[in-house]
Amino acid sequence: MRSGHFKERTEQLIVLSDSAPVWAWSAVLVVALAAAPYLLNAYLLSFVVLILITATGALGLHLLTGRTGLISLGHVGFLLLGAYAYAVPVAKYGLSPFVGFALAGTAPALVSVLVGIPSLRLKGLYLAITTLAFSFIIAHLVLQMSWLTNGARGIQVPRPEMFGISFDSDIRFAQLCLFVATITLFGVLNIERSRVGRALMAVRDNDIAARTMGINLQAYKLRAFMTSAFVSGIAGALFGIYLSFVTVEGFPFLMSIEALAILIVGGLGSTLGVVFGSIFIVLLPEVGRTALSLLGENAAKLFSTGANELRSVLYGVAIILFLRFEPRGLVGLWGDRKRLWVNWPLRF
Amino acid sequence: MLSRKATIALLASGMFAYAAHAQQQGVTANEILLGEVEPLTGPPALLGIAYNVGTKVAIAEANAAGGVDGRKLRLLTDDDGYVPTRTIQSVRKMIEVDKIFAFTSLSGSGQGLAVLPIVEKAGIPAMPAIGPVTGLYTPPRKSVFVVGQSYEEGMYQLVRHLATSFPGKKWGILTQDDDYGVALRTGFARAQQEFKLNVVSEGEYKKGQQDFSSEMLRVRSAGAEVFMAGGVIGENVAMVKELEKLGSKPVVGMFWPGRVTATLKLMGPASDGIYAVDYVDPDNSATIAAFTERAKKLVSEAEVKAMNRYTLAAYASTKVLIEAMRRCGKNLTWACTITELEKTKNFESGVMGPISFGPGVRFSSQAVRIMKADFATLSFKPVQ
Repeated sequence: MRSGHFKERTEQLIVLSDSAPVWAWSAVLVVALAAAPYLLNAYLLSFVVLILITATGALGLHLLTGRTGLISLGHVGFLLLGAYAYAVPVAKYGLSPFVGFALAGTAPALVSVLVGIPSLRLKGLYLAITTLAFSFIIAHLVLQMSWLTNGARGIQVPRPEMFGISFDSDIRFAQLCLFVATITLFGVLNIERSRVGRALMAVRDNDIAARTMGINLQAYKLRAFMTSAFVSGIAGALFGIYLSFVTVEGFPFLMSIEALAILIVGGLGSTLGVVFGSIFIVLLPEVGRTALSLLGENAAKLFSTGANELRSVLYGVAIILFLRFEPRGLVGLWGDRKRLWVNWPLRF
Repeated sequence: MLSRKATIALLASGMFAYAAHAQQQGVTANEILLGEVEPLTGPPALLGIAYNVGTKVAIAEANAAGGVDGRKLRLLTDDDGYVPTRTIQSVRKMIEVDKIFAFTSLSGSGQGLAVLPIVEKAGIPAMPAIGPVTGLYTPPRKSVFVVGQSYEEGMYQLVRHLATSFPGKKWGILTQDDDYGVALRTGFARAQQEFKLNVVSEGEYKKGQQDFSSEMLRVRSAGAEVFMAGGVIGENVAMVKELEKLGSKPVVGMFWPGRVTATLKLMGPASDGIYAVDYVDPDNSATIAAFTERAKKLVSEAEVKAMNRYTLAAYASTKVLIEAMRRCGKNLTWACTITELEKTKNFESGVMGPISFGPGVRFSSQAVRIMKADFATLSFKPVQ
């Protein structure tokens, strides 16, 4: 057990992790996730899939809000755009899913420039409202451009077939989601330890100071928007495939709020927190259902027949409790437990 | 002594029969488990709760009559809040964890379409009757049977009636910006072309919109004499109240999701004389009176109060399913139920016209009726 954590070289500072146990446990987690589709039933597997898709989308928002400090209330717009950018070429025009996924990333990334440009002069609440308006505009355009998007009727989206592999089964689709989520996670971790990631952090912490240090605010903010939109668009495409049916209704505004809730509950600014937050927010209703079922049949029935309202209440209570008692989020709690384990019997 | 071949054949058939029996989920020696997903909270709960009552009445009736081949029916209900992701989760849970035998509802139209691949893949019988949207039965899915009528046809019939009753009038229409609105506009466009309607005001509103003052001002300014309110419940109420406030009194037509007592109560006296279209029997008919009396004995008082047209839609749809299951007798499997559902011909549910399906026909295409609101009795009476 190591008793100190001294870093003497730059490489040590930017390495993903210098702890062998962390790598070992990460490998165990990857193996467990890879095995999960074969061990879980379709219902439990759908939670794994939802967590993976949610984590991918939330990682997109994390790059913008968590790392760059640009608050977005309109991220659902990028998810929606990604879903349609995949569904239109693949389901409507029969193009390859590769083209679909490429467009699902690039279309929101290009459109994000339109939102990103105003963001160069806007901050905080003003930026949040701008992004919110953007998501409404996207939804409106999708409904109006019915010649391309089928308007309110939506588009049925089949499961993809790539590399000669059909992702029609739940197991295969879960593996695809795991692949995308893992790539995204490593991508985000790598961005964070690069020059770009440190520049984004500088912009978040104090943009005037960042500019004084020679960081081009315009370029980095736009980069943050584009990267974030790209990742969110891919998550939107996966979500559309999961839903098997893409409509504006499938992407309600509440998804933007849920994404922000994930960042807050997980721990704002932490990539690991995004993963924790996604697991927490997706599983919270199911945990609530299980807890209530222990109290008897009537309590379980209450959840079944009032699930929608109870879920909203649970989300609200969780956010309030975290903001009040643990603003560092789940990642803060995790850090405390880790320190306790490493330093025991000493307190610090 | 049996010969070796006969013994093998007997063993094989026995094993096959056991396997077939063992594979069939949701059926035990004394119980059959059914499931339904619908909105039970939030604004759409008005239709979800009512629908749930209809299913409960059909099940209670069947159980009171001895169940299905001696097995009692039990219903599992899940609230999805009208959110497709939650519908997917609930449908998966019911198939994989609860192991139900059949679905009596797959929530609304968009939600139903989202779960169709799951239902189709599982092969489980499903009777989605809340939102009988075309995509649910075109192309026909083997295990999905829809009792009802399409929004397009319903709208066409309503406009046809009003165009014949009020010839040469100026028309206005306002619809929602979703698949429901698209279907209404499609039906309206067909009638508009056929009857060469003079449409002076046409518009769409955003789903969830509460204030219709500017839209109704436009309708009045355009001089619309017949107005089609294409909302669900709250929207139609807001439109009619706004027209009342403006002193405008066009002939108003609305669609079946709004054909519930709550709409009339909320609209007040302004609701009197509003035209509606539906495929379930009118409120004041003898069949509905008889149904209500039966329901009072089978469900709670609060549930009776929650009943509306969706109760009748659920009741008829579930009755068709139960009848098909009953015809299967001891051999209650998904395959048999689907075959028997397909054989349904002119089935009388007692709350709507005869219901029929057929080979490759998964939509009952019910005949519709035009009705008129009577505020004094808070009911809709047939006009044809």
